Amino acid sequence: VLPSERGIRRVVVAGLLLAITLLLAFTPQVGFIAVPTPAGSATIAHIPAIIGAILEGPLVGLIVGLGFGFASWSRATIPAFRDPLVAIIPRLFIGPVAWWVFAVLRRARVGTLTGMLAVLLALLLAFSYQVAGQTLWLGILIGVVATAAIAFLFVWVRREETIIVSLSVAGAAGSLTNTALVLSAATLLKYWPADVSWGIAITHGIPEMLVSAVITAAVVAAIRQLGARRGSRL
Amino acid sequence: MANAALLRHVAIGRYLPTGSPVHRLDPRAKLLSLALLVVASSIGVTYSTSAIVFIVLLGAMIVSRMPLGYTFGYIMPFLPVIAIASCFQLLFAHPSGADGSDAERLIASFGSIVITWDGIRLVVVSLIRFASLLLVISLLTGTTTVSALTHGAERLLHPLTRLGLPGHEIALMAAIALRFLPILGEEMEAIMLAQASRGVGEQTSRWRILANARHMAALVVPLFADVYRRSEEMAIAMLARCYSGGRGRTSLSELRYRPADAVALGGALLVTGMVVLLRRLSLP
Repeated sequence: VLPSERGIRRVVVAGLLLAITLLLAFTPQVGFIAVPTPAGSATIAHIPAIIGAILEGPLVGLIVGLGFGFASWSRATIPAFRDPLVAIIPRLFIGPVAWWVFAVLRRARVGTLTGMLAVLLALLLAFSYQVAGQTLWLGILIGVVATAAIAFLFVWVRREETIIVSLSVAGAAGSLTNTALVLSAATLLKYWPADVSWGIAITHGIPEMLVSAVITAAVVAAIRQLGARRGSRL
Repeated sequence: MANAALLRHVAIGRYLPTGSPVHRLDPRAKLLSLALLVVASSIGVTYSTSAIVFIVLLGAMIVSRMPLGYTFGYIMPFLPVIAIASCFQLLFAHPSGADGSDAERLIASFGSIVITWDGIRLVVVSLIRFASLLLVISLLTGTTTVSALTHGAERLLHPLTRLGLPGHEIALMAAIALRFLPILGEEMEAIMLAQASRGVGEQTSRWRILANARHMAALVVPLFADVYRRSEEMAIAMLARCYSGGRGRTSLSELRYRPADAVALGGALLVTGMVVLLRRLSLP
């Protein structure tokens, strides 16, 4: 097979994104962002996998995700993350899910996107209502955060910047995949009870999702602009 | 911005030519024996097994004449995180015994917080494992040039190309990642200093999420843009040199196994065998 320009670019981009993943995973003062939860920090080391998937397709996302999983496995001091089924396998899905979400949303029109956001908001509000039945303040918190996030995306949809919306949602979806699959694996393999998983999902998962949405959109938009200026078709 | 200088401590991926016997080993033999030692360190769950692996790796470090401070200076910024994680694990994790039974020897308990000898063992073993892994990484990257490492990995993956797995591309990707790790570390440092000179300070109170996210974006967006620019340039450079992938490619120097490689591989096999045996015997 004669490698095309696309093929070479894929190999090179995957290699460099792997390097960023390792850099973010192994230098605590860069790869983490301070948030007001007991854990104190949210990681951004899974973002290169999402960005790789959006820029160069699901295969690159999968490979960078594998690198992220391997980094998290190798630096783990907690037994759950010493298990490849928790640390590595779930991370393979980050890129492909983000790519799929982006591929679906990119083609959507303003009307379709508005409808999708409305459905998403309804689902999130239903979820927060259900949570409020058990823990009132938590349900209210989820409801408020969800409404604010959707309203923010809605403003971008109105401005016809659908690309920003698709990028943010893809970033959030990739981050959510990471949180959901890793915690489900840890719970199913009985490393800790389901309550602990829910706790981590709320204290770590939600901030990571928001940060991931913002940073994915910012980075990909910046790279696209850079590409357009240099006459590249990305 | 004292943080920025810390990035220089990313010792992974830096080659230190000391001309030691470890440097002269065949990269394939080095990769295989270190992989065996990683397996040995992750299946060993007792003091004796992890100590054996650690001591063997320490010996290899001494033979390779690499400064130990180079490897362990790197974990300094991690120490608080590791300490907190270890305490947490000690207080709340309830490990089962080495043979799978719930052989928790109690030391003290306060309500739901229970401290057992097995809990302490788990923490100590995890820490030794982490240190062993750091040693493996510094041994591999400190004593092997990236091109030798790529060549070795490519030859090791060669049998898989028949199954349709692109061995050459995988090796190339890993080589690019390792090669660019220190470069991106320096780039990150430059970006941090540049943004600091424009008034982007440290992350502040953790309640100011938006400010912190913006601070993070100010560092990460230029880093990714730089990576994109570099990859574009590199792809064009490769195309210009008629790079055509792995198929039918020959290399300037053919790898050949020598007696020293057999010694290294044999040693690694011996250690792995001992770990498996000790695990069976369920020694402390």
